[in-house]
Amino acid sequence: MTRRILIIDDEDDIRQVAAMSLETVAGWDVLLANSGKQGIERASADQPEAILLDVMMPEMDGPTTLLKLKANRSTAHIPVLLLTAKVQGPDQRRFAEMGVAAILFKPFDPLTLAKQISAALGWSDEG
Amino acid sequence: MRDDPRSEPLTDPDPIPPETQSQEQKLQTMLSALWDRSRHTVVERAALLQEAGALLTGNRLDEATRQSAVDSAHKLAGVLGTFGLPQGTELAREAEIFFGRSTPPDKKEIEQIQVLLAELARLVERGPLGP
Repeated sequence: MTRRILIIDDEDDIRQVAAMSLETVAGWDVLLANSGKQGIERASADQPEAILLDVMMPEMDGPTTLLKLKANRSTAHIPVLLLTAKVQGPDQRRFAEMGVAAILFKPFDPLTLAKQISAALGWSDEG
Repeated sequence: MRDDPRSEPLTDPDPIPPETQSQEQKLQTMLSALWDRSRHTVVERAALLQEAGALLTGNRLDEATRQSAVDSAHKLAGVLGTFGLPQGTELAREAEIFFGRSTPPDKKEIEQIQVLLAELARLVERGPLGP
């Protein structure tokens, strides 16, 4: 099944690696946004099945973007996976309380990223 | 992605299916092309860290440069492992913690971080496919 996923990350490298990984390995459709603001607009307009959201971004960071997505009726139902290079426990607890579906860590393995996302979201039709 | 293919066993007990092998090869080719495009930025970030490390000597590191060092180290930590440089991620994480802490480092710690940053710069200069 072709999935559609939105990647929100200010880092060009990360967006491109994640996109080529999900497109090449899993055959998913990938939408891209380079800021929280752009991501919210794309999520509302394109209704992806999941969102991969970077934590540390300038202007609007990942947690703020997540709260706005969850507060918006048109995007509240979309599962959000946070992508972070930080691994501290207090951060993880805070994110869980904010309604995040899962936390994935950078650096990720491009060959298994789709499997990680599928496993986290219970998508049994993939890898 | 592996650092040293020579360390792989001769017989893989869990062989990768042919379709996955071709996906892996395709992905590696694309990653190599992306590394070539990203290399300049990555090398610049490592250089910025080295400059920040050098400014520690004589207590010349200002707050803006220190924060830039934290940001650069964080970004390097997040991406180097994905490009096949897991050691680079570890070194960048150490640098992020070092520049992010509030207590001033002593002379020995400054020397240690300067050695670490020089190693990080060498790693990214060499790249994931280097000797």
